[in-house]
Amino acid sequence: MQTEESSTEALIDSTPMVEFAGVCKSLGNRKILDQLTFNVKRGETFVIIGYSGTGKSVTLRNLIGLMRPDEGSIRVAGEEITTMSNKELEVMRRKFGVLFQSGALIAWLDLFQNVELPLLEHTKMSRRKRTEIVQQKLELVNLWQDKDKFPAEISGGMKKRAGLARAIALDPELVLYDEPSSGLDPVIAYEIDKLINRLRDQLKMTQIVVTHDMESAYTIASRIGMFYQGGMLQIGTPDEIRTSEIEEVQHFITGGREGAVSRRSTTAIMKGRSPTFSARLEAGRGVEAAEPSGDAAPTIMELEPESSPIDPENKP
Amino acid sequence: MKDFIGLRAIRGAGYTLLLLLEALGYINHAWKRRRALFTQMHVIGTQSLAITCFFMLLVGMVFALQTGIEFARFGQTSLVGLVIVSAMVRELGPWMTAFVLIARVGSSMAAEIGTMKTSEEIDALEVMSINPVSFVVMPRLIGYAIMGPILTIFGTLVGVAGGALVANVQLGVPLDDFLRFAERGAEPLDIYWGLLKSLVFSLCAGAVACANGMRTSGGAVGVGRASRNTVVVALTLTVFLNYLLTSFYRMVKRLVAGIL
Repeated sequence: MQTEESSTEALIDSTPMVEFAGVCKSLGNRKILDQLTFNVKRGETFVIIGYSGTGKSVTLRNLIGLMRPDEGSIRVAGEEITTMSNKELEVMRRKFGVLFQSGALIAWLDLFQNVELPLLEHTKMSRRKRTEIVQQKLELVNLWQDKDKFPAEISGGMKKRAGLARAIALDPELVLYDEPSSGLDPVIAYEIDKLINRLRDQLKMTQIVVTHDMESAYTIASRIGMFYQGGMLQIGTPDEIRTSEIEEVQHFITGGREGAVSRRSTTAIMKGRSPTFSARLEAGRGVEAAEPSGDAAPTIMELEPESSPIDPENKP
Repeated sequence: MKDFIGLRAIRGAGYTLLLLLEALGYINHAWKRRRALFTQMHVIGTQSLAITCFFMLLVGMVFALQTGIEFARFGQTSLVGLVIVSAMVRELGPWMTAFVLIARVGSSMAAEIGTMKTSEEIDALEVMSINPVSFVVMPRLIGYAIMGPILTIFGTLVGVAGGALVANVQLGVPLDDFLRFAERGAEPLDIYWGLLKSLVFSLCAGAVACANGMRTSGGAVGVGRASRNTVVVALTLTVFLNYLLTSFYRMVKRLVAGIL
């Protein structure tokens, strides 16, 4: 009896909360997601790191259903969301909480009303019950004393905390964060990180965090996935990532101080260590083909060995 | 072909029309969103009342002065009342009020929704499974549609009063004469028609403003573009519609007169 119960529990626990399988998405002529495949287990905090402007946010938007992938499958709690109708998607999204980069609070509602909004829209709770929940969530992010303020009157960090309170108002199973620490000073960024950890430990929420703040990634991650050229270059625990032998990963996590990447060594590394990437190279959609273009795209591929980005000769 | 300007305009027009219909489809949410609706009615209506009245007062005054000069040549200055009332009720009232509202409300509405779009607020609503058309567009559009005709009533009355003032003070038309002819200027059908026109203008301008806001992309520049497009498109559209509606009304009136 006991063992049976625990085994079913283990089974439920082992179904991934989020499964990306072979997801492709192009915007214009640019292939943003290229055979993106990864799983997020229940109850873990999965951190996606990677260069700015390469499609981390696009990954999130596909997961929320704000964008639909061109190919591939995205499953949330075992349910395929790429083929859902808008109605089904609306129901599905109630399992989600999303913290947007700027908090995305509704400007004409004060903090209390902002956090109350999902409760008002989706539940038939009494006013007292709602107040209770709003108070609980706002106290969690330490903003209860500012409940009457409007978004325009508070700082960026407060907006993010209020956005977080709103995201978890309906106790979602899955919380997504788009750059939770960008634009914040280190102290407040650490406060947010502590909140994210508290949500994982106390409320057992599954969380996906997109960031390029490595400090924060190490603090909160159960696992880290390095997003690179439309796919996951490496997925591992923070320690595995920190000691990664892949040049691009080292280059990224050390802020370009180590792991200088040249075109040749990249190809070598990909051929030798990353089967997906070598397969792609052989299929003729290699580094060059998948290289994103655009102003925010990483430029590391262009560097010759030994040259540095501040080399005056390298300037355009 | 992709950037063919006509195609973009057609796509925009299609989106605007669909948005208008969708927003009207959410009219059953009006009670649930009554607070937002009342706020919008206040912003669109009450706060625009003073400027609309001031504007219409001067339109009425100038109109009376100009027609009065011409009528004086034939010694018929007392006809001023008739001309002012008929023009105000059928044309100038609905039309000029629509202009004031597009400039004051339409542009800011597009900018507001556009800013919500660029700051991810619209996305956030969608993620919270709150339909932005119901939450953001519907209260604005319905508020606009309610307040447009009400402001038209005020504007028309003030415009006629301005005309009467000028007629009395500058043209020397006794108030009795003015009112006697004014009565013949408009029949009830004209008044309803004027209000209907105002409703059409309000819905058009509101839909254009909301659609431009919802389609905003590209940060501050995009918000500016949305606001500018709103004013240009809404003004053009109302001028054009006004001509069509007036022609149609004239046709109907002649038809009715023929039957009777």
